[in-house]
Amino acid sequence: MTRSIIDPITRIEGHLRVEMEVTDGVVSDAWVSGGCFRGMELVVQNRTPEDAAQIVERICGVCPVSHAHASSIAAEKAYGITISNNARLVRNLIEGAQFLHSHILWFYNLCALDYVNPLNALEADVASTYDLAQQLGTSMDTDFKLLKEKLERFAANGQLSIFSGNWFDCDNGEGYKLPAEANLICTAHYLEALKMQARASEIAALIGGKMPHVMTLIPGGTAFVPTEGKLDDLWAMACEIYDWVSTTMIQDTLALAPFYPDALKFGKGCGRYIAWGVFEGPGWPYGGDYTEQMINRYLPMGVLDEDLNVSNVQESLITEYMGHSWYEGDATYESPYFVTDPEFSEYNVEDRYTWVKCPAYDGKPMEAGGFARILAAYKRGVPFIVENVDKMLVALGAKPGELSALQSTLGRTATRQIETLYIAGLMKEWTLELMEAIKGGDSEYFRDPVTTTGEGTGFWEAPRGALYHSEKVTNRNIDGYQIIIPSTWNLAPLNAEGVHGPMEQALIGNPVEDIDMPINALRTVHSFDPCTACAVHITEPKTGKTFKTVTSPWGVK
Amino acid sequence: MVDQATTTDAFGVLESRGVSRRSFMKLCAGVAAAAGLSQLAIPRVAEALEKSVIGATSGDLYPVIWIEGASCTGCTESFAQIETPDVATVVLDIISLNYSETLSAAAGYSVEEAKAQTIEAGNYVLIYEGAVLEGWNGNALRVAGETGNEALIHAAASANAVMAVGSCAVNGGWCAAYPNPSKAMGVQQFLKKEGIDTPVINIPGCPVNPEWMMQVLVDVVLLKDPSLVKLNSFNEPADLFDQTIHDNCARRGHFENGEFVYEFGSKEEALGYCLYPLGCRGPQTKAQCPVTLWNNRRSWCVQAGSPCIGCCEANPNDPGDNWVQVNTPFYQRFRDLRVGDFTFQPEPVAWALTGIVALALVCHGFGMKKTGRMDGGAPFEPIRKWDAKHPDQAIGTYADPEKGGPVLSAELTEENTHHAAAPADVVVADYEGEAGGEAR
Repeated sequence: MTRSIIDPITRIEGHLRVEMEVTDGVVSDAWVSGGCFRGMELVVQNRTPEDAAQIVERICGVCPVSHAHASSIAAEKAYGITISNNARLVRNLIEGAQFLHSHILWFYNLCALDYVNPLNALEADVASTYDLAQQLGTSMDTDFKLLKEKLERFAANGQLSIFSGNWFDCDNGEGYKLPAEANLICTAHYLEALKMQARASEIAALIGGKMPHVMTLIPGGTAFVPTEGKLDDLWAMACEIYDWVSTTMIQDTLALAPFYPDALKFGKGCGRYIAWGVFEGPGWPYGGDYTEQMINRYLPMGVLDEDLNVSNVQESLITEYMGHSWYEGDATYESPYFVTDPEFSEYNVEDRYTWVKCPAYDGKPMEAGGFARILAAYKRGVPFIVENVDKMLVALGAKPGELSALQSTLGRTATRQIETLYIAGLMKEWTLELMEAIKGGDSEYFRDPVTTTGEGTGFWEAPRGALYHSEKVTNRNIDGYQIIIPSTWNLAPLNAEGVHGPMEQALIGNPVEDIDMPINALRTVHSFDPCTACAVHITEPKTGKTFKTVTSPWGVK
Repeated sequence: MVDQATTTDAFGVLESRGVSRRSFMKLCAGVAAAAGLSQLAIPRVAEALEKSVIGATSGDLYPVIWIEGASCTGCTESFAQIETPDVATVVLDIISLNYSETLSAAAGYSVEEAKAQTIEAGNYVLIYEGAVLEGWNGNALRVAGETGNEALIHAAASANAVMAVGSCAVNGGWCAAYPNPSKAMGVQQFLKKEGIDTPVINIPGCPVNPEWMMQVLVDVVLLKDPSLVKLNSFNEPADLFDQTIHDNCARRGHFENGEFVYEFGSKEEALGYCLYPLGCRGPQTKAQCPVTLWNNRRSWCVQAGSPCIGCCEANPNDPGDNWVQVNTPFYQRFRDLRVGDFTFQPEPVAWALTGIVALALVCHGFGMKKTGRMDGGAPFEPIRKWDAKHPDQAIGTYADPEKGGPVLSAELTEENTHHAAAPADVVVADYEGEAGGEAR
């Protein structure tokens, strides 16, 4: 038995440490530690909900739109606002742009280097590379010959830049299994993806002024007014991204999969999932019924148990436990009363080892993320998702509907590309819908508060999973603010019963050939797309001095 | 506990304590066997401690270390959106980005090793993103088994220069906003406190604009002359941060015309009117947003319909002077003033003070009247001083230019004032001759 540690985990957002007990070449125990505390909820105290929406989006530079969105929804519930249909479309578009940006960046630029070795692409034969690309049905927008020459110049110079300290020769040179030609194709797509994720962000910037940290998504609707000059830009960029995504991402995923079949066998995790739903649906506004609103989202809300039975979220079933995190006490706090007081002791996996708290639903750890959304959408019968998940299952050698075949590191990684394609298509749909609405004379984008005192909850999704913002507002002044973030669910430490969090469970059982470079563990971590900056929070400070509170963060029922 | 980040040092320590390579290899074998690894892995475990993991230590590319402190990764993200040149060109053809928590292929021990070797080789620039946290002795931020501050000190001490990117790195940013729970501050202030005199270039913004960063990198890296970066008193590049947003705003014309947006998403917004009444901080925020624009020059905040919220406001010497504290509430014309936990807007206070002064004057007047201390009114001038000095050019109308008094001559009026003469029978003004005389 020995310890294998990855600290820092790179190619994620934020500071994350993974410590594993390795026995006979397999992870037998694991502890995940979030390394940074900033105290967002304290900062938004006694400011306006409008300010809060702008400040809380600074919690994360990868998914700022989702935070501004969830915060705005919470404020709108408190203010008694139902946003206009045009505002719904504009907000779906800016959220969609961020999802595309985030998913493209995550798959190619963060995840892919666990599977692709760009330095090995130097060995590729250019002609065979074209043949292989054609055979795989993946895009050939890059001139492979020029790319190979570029890589040769890079290699001749000798400085490794972002490939410094790489793990490409891990597992005695057996860790990276792609042939050189496939590496060249994927390196080309790595570089194309850098441009495409920036293109997706351009849509967010067109609507939001800049990305990250968009400016026009505000409680009450949107400050952005689409004019003809902006709509055609929007349409052109949406088409460009759709074309690239549809010819590249799923194809590349299915090209990688056969070389890493083991990754379908480990990394399942806790096997229970939550998704609060994202992208407001076409039947807007659902008469104020929040559950109906969440079920009808383009990616619907759903809580899935061990057997993948889907149910509706019950707010009162969410709890948080502090006993293994750097906060005072070791109580389990039941909603709606969370009380926390940050207090660093020391890093000790036997005791407290993370800034991340331990949330639970119905007393159990839950996985959030793209995979959870896909499963919820499948179970709710979203046609595009059902069709494409079944297709992918067949391509991976399973039967249609056999969702358990996807509960793994590779399954979690692969299904996100289906979501990316779905959203890329929706972006075009929403743009056309917005054009029609404007042609029909609809020009309402912003609504004033009906009341300035109330409570509200924003159930929403970041690219990384279920996101929850809640606030209590008195005369336009925030009295209590609470955030529960997707990565808080995924990176949760041990709970009071000694049950590991979802990522810790997913790591246990991963084969480790090399404790210095546990590549399979890294693949598993990246499959969750963790985001630790937003995972770390304290909640519900009343004044910033005493941390007691009696506010209900559960909003207007 | 195993602390992998310091393994380079560990090998040196082992040798200095007389542990030979042979016994070290045996130790590695033991570790590998305990982990259930194949014996083939053993030479690799040892080799990893010796070889260069950053390739050549110098070459065509300028070595760069990019450390994320208490960040949201927004500045790295922003950098990844750069288009001219695109990010791939930057990291493959311009800089050797040997350490980046977001982009590095390596992870864990390997990436820390890459950083250590880059520091050892020297001649590099450190880019630091995010706030410096002093909470819990720096444990509010822990990376690779140490505090984030230790990593910053180590990397900054031998760097040619430190680029503090984003408002958090400049002075703590939003993290430092009241009540500053994690004791955030900026890089410049922290390094000064620690006695490290590596020059710091501050580039504020939330996030940093990648084109601004690139401009500094071009001076330092491509032109190899850091002195080209002219800094202002905040150590910001002067040509980027010495003009206000208002100076260069495309909506400035509407400001001059008095054409304003009073409600979000309104018809006036569609017309591109000025966002001043919605709290735009353009007039007091110094940055080049309207010139550089964002995201491949696609747009910027005001162009999309949002007032500027002043995210480039950052005083590197004072974390309390951060952009959130200075500018909230964002959509009000004035910031909130704070006394302890109590906040208020300056405008009601101004009205209240004005009211109190007006009330006091009225009371004073009644009191004077009541006590009979009125002395017969104000001492009005019987004749303007200038008119008295220049009787031939006097513009006033007086009966007697030497002594003052009402005018009666139509001729004089017309000649001296170019106004039509008042009818002779109209008394234009009627002053008492002596100073302090009561008006009738």
